[in-house]
Amino acid sequence: MMNTKTPMRSNQILKRIIILLIIAVVLVVFSYGWTVTDIDLAVPQEPQRQENVGNALRELLSPNVFTQDYEVSAYTTNFRITCSDSEIIPPTTPSDSPYIVVEPTCGEGDETVTVFGYNLPANGLARMNWIGEDGERRIRQVNGENEDNFVVRDDGTFSVQIQVPRIRGTTGEIHTVELQARIPVGLPRFSNTTNLVMEKMIETIFLALIATAVSILPSAILSFMAAHNLMRPIRAQFGSLMVSFTLLPVGWLLGVLLLYPVGQFAFRLGSENVLVAFGAVVVVIAGGIVLLPRINTLKDLIPIVIVRRLLNTALITILILFIVGLIGGLGELFRASFPRGTFANVSTFIDDIFVYMGAFIGSLGEIIEFTLQVVAGLTGAFALSSLGTSLAKEPLKKTDTTFNHLLGGILGALGGAILLGMTATIGLSAAWMGLLTPIVAGALATTLLPQAYRWFVPKPEVPNQTDRNILRVLAWTSGVIGFFVTFTLLNVGQSLVEGMLPAQQPVLTINGANLYQYVAFAMGIGAVFGGFAGGLGGVRGTFPFGSAIYNTTRTILNTLRSIEPLIMGLVFVIWVGIGPFAGVLALALHSIASLGKLYSEQIESIDAGPIEALQSTGANRLQTIMYAVVPQIIPPYIAFTMYRWDINVRMSTIIGFVGGGGVGFLLQQQINLLQYRNAGVAVLAIAIVVSILDYASAAIRERYT
Amino acid sequence: MLIIENLTKVYDNGFMALDNISLEIPDGQFVAIIGLSGSGKSTLLRCINRLIDPTKGRIIWNGLDITAATDDELRQIRRRIGMIFQQFNLVKRSTVLTNVMSGRLGYINPVYSLFNYFPPKEKARAMAALERVGIPEKANNRASALSGGQQQRVGIARTLMQEPEMMLADEPVASLDPATSHSVMKYLELLNQEDKMTILCSLHFLSLARAYSHRVIALKDGKIEFDGHPKDIDNDRFKMIYGEDAVEVEIH
Repeated sequence: MMNTKTPMRSNQILKRIIILLIIAVVLVVFSYGWTVTDIDLAVPQEPQRQENVGNALRELLSPNVFTQDYEVSAYTTNFRITCSDSEIIPPTTPSDSPYIVVEPTCGEGDETVTVFGYNLPANGLARMNWIGEDGERRIRQVNGENEDNFVVRDDGTFSVQIQVPRIRGTTGEIHTVELQARIPVGLPRFSNTTNLVMEKMIETIFLALIATAVSILPSAILSFMAAHNLMRPIRAQFGSLMVSFTLLPVGWLLGVLLLYPVGQFAFRLGSENVLVAFGAVVVVIAGGIVLLPRINTLKDLIPIVIVRRLLNTALITILILFIVGLIGGLGELFRASFPRGTFANVSTFIDDIFVYMGAFIGSLGEIIEFTLQVVAGLTGAFALSSLGTSLAKEPLKKTDTTFNHLLGGILGALGGAILLGMTATIGLSAAWMGLLTPIVAGALATTLLPQAYRWFVPKPEVPNQTDRNILRVLAWTSGVIGFFVTFTLLNVGQSLVEGMLPAQQPVLTINGANLYQYVAFAMGIGAVFGGFAGGLGGVRGTFPFGSAIYNTTRTILNTLRSIEPLIMGLVFVIWVGIGPFAGVLALALHSIASLGKLYSEQIESIDAGPIEALQSTGANRLQTIMYAVVPQIIPPYIAFTMYRWDINVRMSTIIGFVGGGGVGFLLQQQINLLQYRNAGVAVLAIAIVVSILDYASAAIRERYT
Repeated sequence: MLIIENLTKVYDNGFMALDNISLEIPDGQFVAIIGLSGSGKSTLLRCINRLIDPTKGRIIWNGLDITAATDDELRQIRRRIGMIFQQFNLVKRSTVLTNVMSGRLGYINPVYSLFNYFPPKEKARAMAALERVGIPEKANNRASALSGGQQQRVGIARTLMQEPEMMLADEPVASLDPATSHSVMKYLELLNQEDKMTILCSLHFLSLARAYSHRVIALKDGKIEFDGHPKDIDNDRFKMIYGEDAVEVEIH
């Protein structure tokens, strides 16, 4: 019994010591935090500071929202300097209209007299003037206080004491005593500040709306690439993947050379003439209706697979470019068809709407025109590489062992060289971008040692933990080695320390395009790593293509998300100048990263059952996504998009602090001018809009989740 | 004829779900697969249409090697093998009609799917399938609005769109009450008798296997424990399959 009790005891003591230690550590952490954050409880109690903050808060909480128009009316009576019997000033008779009486009606300078008023606007602000025969108006202070203005009583009467001014040589003159009363006219209205704030607030809301809308499509596409349940299972044959990778630049070139003119032609068709554009649209739609259902009959028409696939791809890519170009052209045509004044005789409002729409649709058309070359290149690249993949897959599967590894080596070397060539070209842009090449090289190298191990130790028939652990250790080792080898060979360390770009001497110049030594070096490393990896794995080996895309997308999204929109705003202000456009770009970029993550998490949490069910019916990947994934994610996508708009409105209220447009710019201006009452208007407007949107987005989200 | 040769499946975590299984199933047979949870029933069914890739072994169906098929060939094969699931695996937010029509995707031009378009004759085919399982009036309801038994019938209608020659049923009645279970099993029996469909159906209850199947295959720890006529399972066999403490429960 004793033996079992003693260790229990020591165990308990140990537990208590650990708890005490944890408390001590927490104490130290928080005391350090207290010091670092400069917390000093005496500061907020200083009277001067308390008064300052009180004033600032008072002004902030008395926002200058309303203003009022006033009308000033004057009522007079006469006063004789130096009393005399010869002239009598007639007494004013009581009446319903406003009038004033002075008592006495004559006197010397510096004497105090009393002025009475009747039937005046109640509670109106008033002041007394003294007008001599010289016509000069002198403001009199009332009741001996240092105050010009006084308030009329509730019943419309007042009595104040004023001093007769001492003016030399005015004896016997008749002076005028004047009451100026200020009467509010009409209802209170919004102040100029309020109008300005409202204008900027509308700008803010639309800034957020456009930023959110722009981000929806890119983040939806990215979300599919960042969802592990969709990407993990995608594995591609190494050889066909490399074929498609090396075909990318070729396809780009072909796209630019062959497809771009098609797009340009379609753009011209769409933009020049209404009749021609209409004809082109009709031809495309009719062609679609006639040809689409007959695509499958192509199989019987052209029996040779390669020719058929080639023709198919060519037709589809030409169609894509034609449609894109045509849409762009139609946008331009729309803008040109409704210049300002088209509907002027109908209504200026409708005319305005068409001008706005023309500007919007026209600039969409313009965007298409600008990017047509890129679209053509991308279409060509993807079409050719996917064609290459599907055609290469089966023949590569049948290669014999020697040829398998030889070809794998060659294709791997080619792919590795292209990959690291690309990263090194990016690395030329900034010193720290130089890290990209070693990182990617390291990722590439992770496959080397495991594959070498596999070369000697064949894959166990039944997967086991030891084998997996060995592979994992080998992968990490070779990855780290690959990183450091590349890091050293490319001299990245030096350029990091000195903040300098790698030396840029061209080793080769073709048609004015330079191949830099640094890039050539990186390509060499890529060729060696890729060659070994490909040679060991062979063209028939599988490559976790989906995981590679997943990891890359996740990394990019996470990096982008960690950069605050305010910082992005700073950069965009430099790029496109101060104004809401910079704000839209900053918020859109951040929204893409953020929504991409949120969307992808929704995809990851969907019910996998329908996916399995549709796969089992023989549906392909695209169909499975359309019918099993999309219906499940539409409601949460709507909810998260609303939520993001809500966030963007909140962020766009401060994006103006860095020049990104919206109400924030105004707020900052007023704060800098110490106009806290005006700043208060902006703060109030932000609070109202944010809480309304908060409520609305919560209500909509509730409906969709 | 479905021939399974030395089929082994080891999951990535090292769990051996199937251990060297060999079977021959002639066309038109109604086969019940029984066994405890984790005995490999689901894995076996999923290996046949390669929702799960087997670690070792071959599966040959009517002369086609399913295990060696390329992606395109596999889709061609899967079109002819229907599958229904314990959790029905319907898209709950979509209409019943869409759920049923999605069984036809393997036959439809993928370009149509981008625009969510089904040709009218496929709609008619889907309505016919719904009529066959007795719920044509539910066509435009959301799948989530249906009861469990109705959802499973939608699942059967979805496989009918494939015009399958074989049906894999993965515990199709495990989430249903006894009365509904029998109604769903009767539909499977009907498909077996009228359409001459081969049916492989994993079941929890031996009584259901006795009532509907021509042949029972019992799995235990990834191995075949029993393969024969349902009435040959006596009390000793039963205890071998389900363990010493098990008592047979009748389901009426």
